[in-house]
This record gives sequence, C-alpha cells and structure tokens, in this order.
Amino acid sequence: MRIYLTTILLFLFCFCAVAQKQGERFAQSYALLDAMLNNEVEYSFKDAVFSVENAYLDGKLDKTEFEKEISVYVNLCNSLLKNRLLEYGEKDRETVNKWAAVFTVMTDSIPLYIQDEQYVYTPFSYDFKDVFGHHDKENLFVSKLLKTRKGNCRSLPYLYKILAEELEVNANLALAPNHVYIKHNSERHGWFNTELTSGIFPIDAWIMASGFVHVDAITNGVYMKALDNKESIAVLLVDLAENFNAKFSDNDGSFALQCAERAIKEYPNFAKALILKAEANKVQWQNETDEKKKKQMLTDLENQLAHIHNLGYRQMPEEMYLNWLVSLKTEREKYENKNLNNFIKN
Amino acid sequence: MPENVIPMPNVPTVTNFGQDRIRQQNRQLIAEVERNEQLRRQQQNQMYRDVAEFNKGRINYSLPSHAGKQGASHFRKAFDQLNETDFNNYSVKDLTFLVENTFYEDELDKAEFYEIIANIGKFLTTKMDELGYDKKSNSAKNFMIFQFFSERLELKNGTEHLPFEYDFEDYMGIQDYSKMFVTKLLKTQTGQCHSMPLLYLIVAEEIGAEAYLAYSPNHSYIRFLADNGKWYNIELTNGMFSTSSYILQSGFVKSEALLNKIYMQNLSDKELMAQFYTDLTNAYIAKYGYDDFVGNVVSKALELYPNSISANMIKANLLTMEFEYVCNQVGINPRNKQELQNIRYYPKVVEMLNAVNAQYATIDNLGYTHMPAEAYQDWLQSMKKQESLQENQKINEQFKGLLNKQPIKN
Repeated sequence: MRIYLTTILLFLFCFCAVAQKQGERFAQSYALLDAMLNNEVEYSFKDAVFSVENAYLDGKLDKTEFEKEISVYVNLCNSLLKNRLLEYGEKDRETVNKWAAVFTVMTDSIPLYIQDEQYVYTPFSYDFKDVFGHHDKENLFVSKLLKTRKGNCRSLPYLYKILAEELEVNANLALAPNHVYIKHNSERHGWFNTELTSGIFPIDAWIMASGFVHVDAITNGVYMKALDNKESIAVLLVDLAENFNAKFSDNDGSFALQCAERAIKEYPNFAKALILKAEANKVQWQNETDEKKKKQMLTDLENQLAHIHNLGYRQMPEEMYLNWLVSLKTEREKYENKNLNNFIKN
Repeated sequence: MPENVIPMPNVPTVTNFGQDRIRQQNRQLIAEVERNEQLRRQQQNQMYRDVAEFNKGRINYSLPSHAGKQGASHFRKAFDQLNETDFNNYSVKDLTFLVENTFYEDELDKAEFYEIIANIGKFLTTKMDELGYDKKSNSAKNFMIFQFFSERLELKNGTEHLPFEYDFEDYMGIQDYSKMFVTKLLKTQTGQCHSMPLLYLIVAEEIGAEAYLAYSPNHSYIRFLADNGKWYNIELTNGMFSTSSYILQSGFVKSEALLNKIYMQNLSDKELMAQFYTDLTNAYIAKYGYDDFVGNVVSKALELYPNSISANMIKANLLTMEFEYVCNQVGINPRNKQELQNIRYYPKVVEMLNAVNAQYATIDNLGYTHMPAEAYQDWLQSMKKQESLQENQKINEQFKGLLNKQPIKN
C-alpha cells in the first residue's frame, strides 16, 4: 500500500514538474520580451516570435531549423533584389526594393533556374481553416506557416516583418478588428498598406468602411496605427498570454495579467491587452471572497470596460471577418490603392 | 538554395604575341584620358564655384514683393487687425466680413451685410416660435438653421426663404476667388463647401446655437451636439445629414489623418481663427501671388493650428516658389535632375531645398493625400444615392418628431 502511494505521489510530482516546466517556458519567453522592451536584450522580432511559439510547443521547435527555413526566403529575396529593378526612383528606392522583394516572395510565383532546369516557386497561400486559432493556437504560428506554406493574418504579416528585418529594413505591423497587416511609409506614396492574405495594397477605406471600426478607435490609435517595434513586441506579449490561457485553461489569470500590463505600458491604447487585463481581473473578481474588496474590484472592472468602449473599440463578430477579408478581392476596384498599381510588375 | 547561374568569364590563353605591349599602351592611353577627364572636371567645378562666388552677393532670396500694388495695403491692415483679435473671443461674422471686404478693397457695405445677418436671425427665431421649437435647445436651434439651408421656409406673415443651392461652377474659386465668399452666397443664394458652412457658423452665432466646423479631404462641414448627447454631421452642399462612414468612403482619409486629428474633428475657436488667416492668404495669392507677406500670415496660422492642412500646403507652395525663384537666378533648372546637382555650390540654396522636402514630408506624415477634383465631385454626388438619402430622411424625421413635441405657442 505504501509503495503504491509513493508511486502515485511520485507520479503526481513528475506531472507537476512537467506542468511547471511548461509554465516556465512561458515565463522565459515573457522575460525575453520584457528584456527587449527594456533594451536589455537586442530587439529581434524573429527571436521574439520564436520564443512565443516555442513556449506553446513545449520547447519542441528547433531554432537552427527555424533560422534555416527563414534564410531560404531571405536568399530568395536577395536574388530578386539582384535581378530586378523597380520603376521607382525616389531616394528611398533601396528600402522600397527590399519591401517589394519580400512582398513578391510572399505572394507571387517566381520562375527559378536550378542547373538549367526551370522551376516555379509558388507563394504562400491563405489557410481558411481555424483562422482564429480556436482549435489550435499553432494554426497562427510562423513555424506552422513555414512547415505547411499556408498561413493567415497573424503568421503572414509576422513572417513578412521577420524577412524585412533580415534584409535590414523596417516593417510596421498594424491592427484592424481580428486582423493584422503591414504598413510602410515611402517617399512617393506616404503611408500605404500591404495586405498579405490577398496580396493586395488596400486603401484605408477598406478597413474604415468595414463598419466595425469606430472613428474614435482610429483617432486613438487603437486600430490602423503603424506600430513601432516595441508596440509589436506588445502584440506578441498578448499572443503569449492567449497561448498560455489556451494551454492552461484553469489558471488564476496572473500570467495573462502580467503580460497585459506590460503590453499596456508599451502601447496604452492596445485594445486586446486592455481586454485581456479586464478578463484576468474578472477571474480575480470572481474568486475574491472579501465582499468589500469584491465591490471595489467590480467598480474598477466597470471603469476599465467603459474606457475600452470610449477608445472606440467595438467587437467585430467573427463570422463577419472572413466576409470582410474576402471583400478585398470581390471589391478590388473599390479598395485597391491605385497609386501602387504598377508598383510591382515584372 | 537555387542561385542564378552566372557564366564563368573566359580565361585568356597562355600564348600571346606582343599582346602585353598592346595592353600596356592601352593602359597608358586610358590613364591619360582619365587624367584629362579629371582635369576637365576640376576646371568645371572651379568654374561653377567661381560662378557661385560671383552670384553670391547678387542672389535675391525673397520673392519680389507685391506690397506696392493696388489694394495690397488693405491686406496688411487686415493682417494687423487679425493679430489684434483675441482668438478665444471673436465674432465669425466680423472676421468673415473683414477678409471678404479686404479682397474688395473696402468697397463692401458693412451695415448691409450685418443687417442681412440680423434679418436671418430674426426670421429663424420667429420661425422657431411658430413651430413651437424650444429656443433654449441646441438641437432645435441647429435643426432650424439646417432647415433654413435645405428647405423652403415661410413665415405666417408671408416672408419666405428658399433653400441655398450648390454652385458647381468654379467651386474652388480658381478663376474667381470671390466664389468662396459668404457675401457671394447671400447675393446669389448659391455657394460651396467653404461659404456655406461659414454662413452656418455666422447664423449660429447670431441665434446662439453651438456648432463647429470640421474638415474632410478638400471639404468642410458642420458638426453639432444634439440634446440627446449625440454628435451630428451636416453636409450643407446638398442639405443633408451625413455619416462618418460616408466621409470615410471617399477613400482619401488616411488613418494617420485621423490620428493627427486633421479631419473629422471639431475645430476649436483657436483653430478656426487659423482659417481666417489662411483665407486672407488665399485671397492675397489669388490677387497678387506669393511673396513674404504670404509667409508672415501663414506662419501666424500655423502658430494657432500647427496641423492645419491648408496652412501647411500654402507654406509648401511658398517654399517651392522661393526655391525655384533662386534657382532661376543662378541659371539652374530645378526640374532637371542633372542641373539640380549644381546647387551644391550654393549652401543656402541646398538649405532651401531641404526645407521644401521637409515641408512636404510634414504634410505626408499628417496623413494628407491629394484628392483629385473629379473624385471630389463624384464623392459629393454619391451622397444622393439611396443609402445616404434614407439615412438623411431618418435623422430628419427624428428631429422633426422630437422637436415638434413641444406644445405650439401662439
């Protein structure tokens, strides 16, 4: 009997140790992102994305393999840069050329010659399955995109940003309801959008007219703001917290709260972080036994929700999302940036 | 990883018959040509430098002044008057008249203008009484002005007023700047997106209604806070209530423009004051063109409203004109890239070019994007489409229903 109990205890202990270790990977990832935000570790979106995904995948990702796969695309970009000239003569043409190379690699077929044999490189495609990662967070991952060559509005812009930074140019992430896309500022066109899920350069009206973006949300930078690198890390912090919640559904909310608060510190009007914080606080409010404290927490929670509303945040029903995304293709004429029409044509 | 195949260069064969000598001769020749070329370039540079040195004292960096021209002194007087005005406490009516009268060299009849405005005020308050509108309600007062612009109104004594109409012809005042004026609107009962909102503000001031001017690409319109706590947009060029999505659908509002609050925001008194400065400048430019005076007035406008798109545009134009003016003096065609290189001998001209570029960058970063005239007209017309008409109808009826609830007083 005693032996039996010990075995059980031992088993339980091991189990806890594994769980704790998994939590530890999340904590490590948080520490890395936090250190990047504090300038203690050199900023790298690639490293940040890797650590977030690796935490969720129990450390099963291979860094060398990940880097190698990315370098394949970087090489492809470089050979495009060597062999193609854009009809763009402004001072920033080198930068714009690099953006164009990344864009082509991500969205276009490219003829290749390997030992005099012609091959055609096919671009990434959009994966309509589980676009919100409800079934499995891995569906949002860059590592999954690299493996399956299918991605969505999270993994595609993330990879774009990684590739741009590998080529030593900047790429700004930007948020829309349930959505992430890329913004650039060029000499000729000012700010313009790059939409990777459909490979189109849409004008801002596409998002503004979706009907789910309140003007205040744009004015307050909740949506459509070109996020700088630190704000982009804040976006990853929220991903990290959401992955954690998906993996450990019964947690006390403290990890998510920690991530959310750090993200808010960097990007105060980041709606997703504010909501994550409110949700974590709600869990704490539910678990609180002290009546007086509970009441105070409720007022606090109500204030938070009012603040989110005042910033102009409104929820976009998930069913509408795909319709909206597809509208860019069905109403291309209306929403395409005509100035960029001849931007990239071989 | 696939690489593009680069053909290997041909390796020369070992045997050569006097080829070394030929090659050496060639090298000498090339060296000589290069020396000559270098010499020529040095001489040319020296020449440019000499020319630059020669020119230095003769360059006129300011555009020729129009100060001596007929009527120009009125503008200087008006500028002084604007500067003496308190931007927290002024009358839209006064300043509108000041700008328009300056354009007409003080020929306008002030008493007549003020009387027309007073009559409109009386007409509207009487009408409000007749309709039983609450004269303390901001909704009622604004809705009354809206009706004045967009409907036929008749008083019990038989006085009537027909709605104002949009004037498509030269609506940007390019051929005739007075097309922009409130006095023109009052005289012809037709106006455009500058004069109509301005008259609205004047009338609002007259009857004590609170309303604000707001900008959208190439356009301005009215916003007011209704008693229910909601903000409404009034589009006067077609006498309709408009929505944010209608404005955004134009396709020329960038998110940066909203982030920088250059569009779709109520102008504060101070920001509206800046518009009188830019209006004065535009009237001056229409009459005489650019010179230092334009710079002075516009910098005052930017002081009051740093993100003002119109003021920033005028500044960009002025800097460009000045730069091209100086370029022409030193014999450089600024539109020719090759020739433009030669401005490097003139540090001050380089500075000017940098200022031009910086100013355009400022405008880009504010989120401004050019809206072509056809796109603007199409957009204005699109409001007459079913969806917007219904929306307008709905709001209209809401107001009528709401306001007419008050018992009719006799």
